[in-house]
Amino acid sequence: MGLVLPPGVSEKTFQQALDAFAGVVGKEWVLATDEDRDTYLDAYAPGDAKDHVAGAAVGPQSAEEVQAIIRIANERKIPLWPISRGKNLGYGGCAPRMTGTVVLDMTRMNRILDVNEQFGYCVIEPGVGFFDLFNYLQANKIPLWMSVPANAWGSVAGNALERGYGYTPYGNNTNNICGMEVVLANGEMIRTGTGAMSNSPSWHLFKYGFGPSWDQVFVQSNYGVVTKMGMWLMPEPEATLGLSMQLPNPDDIGWAVDALRPLRMNGVLAQDPSLGNSIRVVTVQAQRSQFYQGDGAMPDDVLQALLKKFGLGWWGINLRLYGYDEINEVNARLIKEAFAKHTDQEFAVSKWHKGEPLDNSGAGVPTVAPLQAVNWRGGRGGHIGFSPVLPSSSEHVLKQFHSTKKRFEEVGLDYFGSFTLSERYVTNVNLMLYDQDDPAMMSRVRTLFKVLVADAQKEGYSEYRTHLSYMDEVAHTFDYNNHALLRLNERMKDAIDPNGILAPGKQGIWPRALRENRA
Amino acid sequence: MRPRVGIAAAAANVALALAMVATVAAPRTVANKQKKDTASQLEQGNKLFHAKCGYCHLQGGTGTIMLGFRLGKDKALLEDRTDLSADYIRHVARAGIGSMPRLTRIEVPDSELNSIAAYLTRPASARAAAK
Repeated sequence: MGLVLPPGVSEKTFQQALDAFAGVVGKEWVLATDEDRDTYLDAYAPGDAKDHVAGAAVGPQSAEEVQAIIRIANERKIPLWPISRGKNLGYGGCAPRMTGTVVLDMTRMNRILDVNEQFGYCVIEPGVGFFDLFNYLQANKIPLWMSVPANAWGSVAGNALERGYGYTPYGNNTNNICGMEVVLANGEMIRTGTGAMSNSPSWHLFKYGFGPSWDQVFVQSNYGVVTKMGMWLMPEPEATLGLSMQLPNPDDIGWAVDALRPLRMNGVLAQDPSLGNSIRVVTVQAQRSQFYQGDGAMPDDVLQALLKKFGLGWWGINLRLYGYDEINEVNARLIKEAFAKHTDQEFAVSKWHKGEPLDNSGAGVPTVAPLQAVNWRGGRGGHIGFSPVLPSSSEHVLKQFHSTKKRFEEVGLDYFGSFTLSERYVTNVNLMLYDQDDPAMMSRVRTLFKVLVADAQKEGYSEYRTHLSYMDEVAHTFDYNNHALLRLNERMKDAIDPNGILAPGKQGIWPRALRENRA
Repeated sequence: MRPRVGIAAAAANVALALAMVATVAAPRTVANKQKKDTASQLEQGNKLFHAKCGYCHLQGGTGTIMLGFRLGKDKALLEDRTDLSADYIRHVARAGIGSMPRLTRIEVPDSELNSIAAYLTRPASARAAAK
C-alpha cells in the first residue's frame, strides 16, 4: 500500500509526526514503507482489506514511550490505534478501524512484571502473549493456572480487553482484570482501583477502589491505552475430572443447555463449557474438499457420514470439574443425574491429579492449532465470527440455532456454531469460514453477516464482540431511547479525548471531528 | 474464534508450548571468527524460529498441517526442509501465504528474520553438527 493519510492530516504534518515518533522510539521502530502498511492489513478481511489501512506503525518499548507518542499525536491530531500483539484474528487482526490511523503496536512491551503466588495474580504489559506467561509459570514451577482462548497466539491483556474467553473457572478473561495502568489521550498516566493510592498493597486484589470503578471503562473502548494490567490467575487445583459426551441430534443442544444452566448457576459446574457442533473438530483436522466438492452447504447425508467417520455426534460436550477428588465426584454425580433424564448415554470420564503432566488436566495450555479451521474452504483461508449473547434457555438457544443454520445454508456455508454457557447467558459464536480468493463466496459472507445482525436485533440479541467492518452496525443495534448509550459514550469520548486521537471508531464510538466516517 | 479442539490434542499442545522455549544444543567449536559468527547466527536463528514461528511451524502446528496438505508430509516441517531460499523465507514472512498472516517488522525485525532465514537454510554440515 502506498502512503495513506488520516482524514484532515497533511502529508507534511504526518511526516513530522513520524519523525517525532522516531525521536522517541528510534527510527527502526517507526514503520512506514509500503510493505509495512501491507503487514498491518487484516489477514482475514471479510471485505476489502484496504478499508482498514494503517498509515504507519510505531513500536514503543515502555509506558513512558507510549506517553511521549500520545503527546506528539495529540499535538498534531494524529489518530492512533493501540494493539497489544495484533492477533485479534477474525475481528480485524492488527488493522485499524479508520484508514490512515497509525498503529501503536505494543508487541515490544512484553515484560511479565510480577507473578504473585500468595495472592494468585500477575502484572503484565500488553505484549505478553499466552505462550510467554505459560512458559514463565512452567519454568518457575508456579502453581497458578491461566485461562487460555482457543487461538492463543495473541496477548493475555489484549484478549481480556476484548472480553475473550478461556475454559477454566477463570474463563471469563475480562473478569480477571484487577488494576490497570492507563495512559490517557493527553499523555497523563493514571492507575485504577486502589492503584490510585501511591502505596496500596491491594491494587491487584480489590477491583473497585473508592468511587467509580474504571477498569471496565477501558475494556472494548477508546478512552485510554492500557500499559500495565493486573490479572487474577487460578490456583492449581488438587484434581480435575472431565466429562465428555457426543450428542447425536441437532435439537439435543436445547435440553443440554436447560440441564446445565441450574448446575452452572448453583456452582456445581464452575467453568463455562462450550457446546459446539462437531464440524469444528473436523475443520482442525481436515479440509472440506476431502469430503465434498459440490456447491452449497454440505448436505446432511454427507455431514452424517463425515461425523461417523470421525466418531463424532452432532454436538460435542466437554465439561470439567476443578477442585478436590471427593467434591468433583459428588458434582459429577449430580451432572450425570441431570443428563440421565434426557439420554441413556454415559459420559466418558477422565481424571487428573496434581503432579501429573498437564496433558488432559483442563489447565489452560496455549495452542494455535484451532486456527487450522480457517483452511476449511481451501485457497486463502479466513474467518469471521458472528457472536450474539442470549439467555441460556432451550427456547432461545434452539430458535437461534435453527435460524442461524438456515441462514448459513442459504448462502452455501457449512454451519459452524458453539454455545458457551455462563451462569445466565450463552455466547453463541458462529464462525464463517471462507476462501478470500473466491469473490462470490465473500459477497455471500458479507450478506450473511448483515442478515444475522438484523435477525439478532429483532430478537434483542447483541454481539459481544465484532469485526472492525461491523462495529458501527452492531453499535447501532443498541437503540434504546434513540441510541442514548452511544450518545453518552461519545460525550465521554469528546470530554477525555477532545482531539479524537485514540482508536477513532472502535466499537462504534467516534470523536466529534471524525463522526462523518461512521458507516 | 473459539472452537475447542478435542482432549486428544492437549498432549500435543503441552509439548508444543514447551518446545517453544527448548534450548538449543551448542554448535561444535570452530576455529575462526567468521565461522563463529555464522554458528552464532544459526543458534540465534534456531531460538528465534522456535520463539516467533513455532506457534504454527513445529510438530502439530497449523502451518505444519497446511504444508503437509499442500506439499506432502516430507515438506511439512520447515526445520527439516532443504529446498528453501532465504529470499523466499523473507518474502513469505512479510507477504503471508494462504491463511498465514504477514509478520510485521515490530514482531520480527529484519535482523531477526535474517537469522531465522539463515537457520532454515543452514548447510548440511550445520545440520549434521546439531545431531
